[in-house]
Amino acid sequence: MRVLVAMSGGVDSSVVAGLLKSQGHEVIGVTMKLWEGPNGEMPETGCCTASDSEDARKVAAKLDIPYYVLDYTESFSDKVVDNFIDMYAQGLTPNPCVECNRSVKFDHFLKQAKKLNCDRVATGHYAKILVNNSNYELHKADYLEKDQSYVLHMLSSETLEHVIFPLGTISKPEVRQIAAELGLKTAFKKDSQDICFVGKKNYRDFVDKRIDISTSGEIINSSGEIMGNHEGVHEFTVGQRKGIPGGQGSPKYVTKIDVQNKKVYVGNKNELLTSSFYLEEVSFVNDIQTENLSIQTRYNSDDLPCSIEVVDGSQIKVLLNEPTFGVAPGQFGVLYSGTKLVGGGRITTKLNEKLSV
Amino acid sequence: MKKNDYLYLDHAASTPMREVAFEAYKRTESEAFANSAGGHELSRRAKNILEESRDKIANHFGAAPKEITFTSGGTEADNWIIKMPFINNQNKNAELVTSAIEHEAVLGSAEWVESLGYKVHFIGCDNAGVIKIEDIINQVNSNTEIVSIMMANNETGVIQPIKEISQNLKKIDQNLIFHSDVVQAVATTKIDFHELGIQSAAISGHKIGGPKGVGIMFLSSEVKIPSFLHGGKQELERRAGTVNVSGVASLSAALEEQQTHMELQNKKILKEREDFEQIIKNNLDVSVVGEVVDRLDHISNIQFKGIHSETLMVALDLQGMGVSRGSACASGAQKPSHVLQAMNVSDDLINSHLRFSFGWSTQKGDGTKAANIVLTSVRGMQ
Repeated sequence: MRVLVAMSGGVDSSVVAGLLKSQGHEVIGVTMKLWEGPNGEMPETGCCTASDSEDARKVAAKLDIPYYVLDYTESFSDKVVDNFIDMYAQGLTPNPCVECNRSVKFDHFLKQAKKLNCDRVATGHYAKILVNNSNYELHKADYLEKDQSYVLHMLSSETLEHVIFPLGTISKPEVRQIAAELGLKTAFKKDSQDICFVGKKNYRDFVDKRIDISTSGEIINSSGEIMGNHEGVHEFTVGQRKGIPGGQGSPKYVTKIDVQNKKVYVGNKNELLTSSFYLEEVSFVNDIQTENLSIQTRYNSDDLPCSIEVVDGSQIKVLLNEPTFGVAPGQFGVLYSGTKLVGGGRITTKLNEKLSV
Repeated sequence: MKKNDYLYLDHAASTPMREVAFEAYKRTESEAFANSAGGHELSRRAKNILEESRDKIANHFGAAPKEITFTSGGTEADNWIIKMPFINNQNKNAELVTSAIEHEAVLGSAEWVESLGYKVHFIGCDNAGVIKIEDIINQVNSNTEIVSIMMANNETGVIQPIKEISQNLKKIDQNLIFHSDVVQAVATTKIDFHELGIQSAAISGHKIGGPKGVGIMFLSSEVKIPSFLHGGKQELERRAGTVNVSGVASLSAALEEQQTHMELQNKKILKEREDFEQIIKNNLDVSVVGEVVDRLDHISNIQFKGIHSETLMVALDLQGMGVSRGSACASGAQKPSHVLQAMNVSDDLINSHLRFSFGWSTQKGDGTKAANIVLTSVRGMQ
């Protein structure tokens, strides 16, 4: 098969290219240039830097595969960065990796792969694709510690048919070992944890610079009293404790953000307890499944047993078996049945009105 | 695919070295490797080769040998002539006139001059890529220090009316320097600097089958500008640094062969380009840039409607054919072309262009072969 491999310059995608090549596939390496400096240069910090693409190029040279840096800055800026800023401006907590997978890696990149007559695309995500009665299913990676199926929840069976995740059955230490055996220079490279386009900078500064309207307003407690003022709703996210004016007694948390009126509501931790909420823009990998479900409300959080009620084609209500803290609007709720990923959607702002303790 | 089956159509970026150039390089490096500025037998041998090469090269361009200085390439020559007139210039109102479609070596130098606070005029071009003479003349005044207009564009091959521009400039001001970057033009054009009426020119060795890292700066004897590189007294005290004699000898040999066979070479190249463009035009929705104006024989810049040229370039490479898009940045990703922008190509089409450039190593049948690869790739993308 001809496989287009997305190579970030990290050890995971390096090993993906190496494994596929050793399995006899025709491998083509691509670094997606997602973000750039003012003169079109690769960024110096964060992920996807000039030195990362240099690492990817060296790995490709070592593996003797064709390698290209392709320009994805326009789709990334339009679909991921703008969305990231919008979401904060709306008092929501965005997940840019999900958006990037949806709009860039498994849309634009996949289309480009088809134009280049590639049979599959491959990435270094830790997730597993299994075929069951000609349905392509998405499963958690065997190496649960690194499982990334959450950020891939929007992929449909039809898309998965064109995708390979070679790391689904391998552990991170094994990945590093394979990289070392293949003589790849990325074998002991540190994993990147930052949001790729923000880098080591504070993401709030990044957002601050890009929001032109002031969203400053009042901070209000659960009894309706004004506790102080804030600099802008994008500075806050539901569940946040930092930056809340002090008071007597127990620590305060952001419980609700009213963007229209620029108000940030705070309360005690137990006010964040949620047992039901809604998901919008829901997608399912295959057919909808309503039994034996659990949900993750953040990347790599615990699986919370739940049931669902379908509201309409794109919205569902999630009922948790046990109430939980820290369900943030804007994040994604991803449904699993065992290791199988069923589907997911965005946790809606309606959460706050429906909050039930 | 074997590497030597690769169909190379990126001669405008660089050409393979001619056999005679290789031989001259090797011979000089083994027989006359010494420093040409030294005072012994081996140095004299090097110096002799250097000056013989200078004489021959000058002769090809109708210049006097002392008007030829060897540089590290076209970029150095462009930087030198554009920047130096503004160093310590007592006239704070000194101005530079250039075009928006110049090579980055000129544009970058011009932007640097601008950053010093001097006025720089970037002249646009028409939709076919030609710069209007009156647009240049209109910006020239008594403060104009230098006018820099390329002889032919490296992305489109479109030729500029250099002789007419020089004649018009002479009428306005006898003292200003008219510089022309002829790096791309020299590949398929016979040039006489004095006949063109330019005072300086930049040439690069590797565009004509010579080595990389060596170039020529033509500077008319009537013009004096300060040195760019300081140190030893080489090159008539104009450029410090041990002279790359083997590179110069190699460039001279390449130029000799190129100039001797240029007519035949151009005929061959043009035939391949015509075959190529004909097949492409008959089968695809394309337009050829500069088709209706004067254009260098070796460049074909094609707009493929509805096709993303970055993807097409990859598809062609995977089929064993090398072409280029705009100017490459360090990481390999490419930006929309400033030349096409100046030509008012719309945003939705600006990323649909590829440059195919033929050269001395182009073989009979390459044009047809290339066109067929393009057809297969484009159809695979639709």
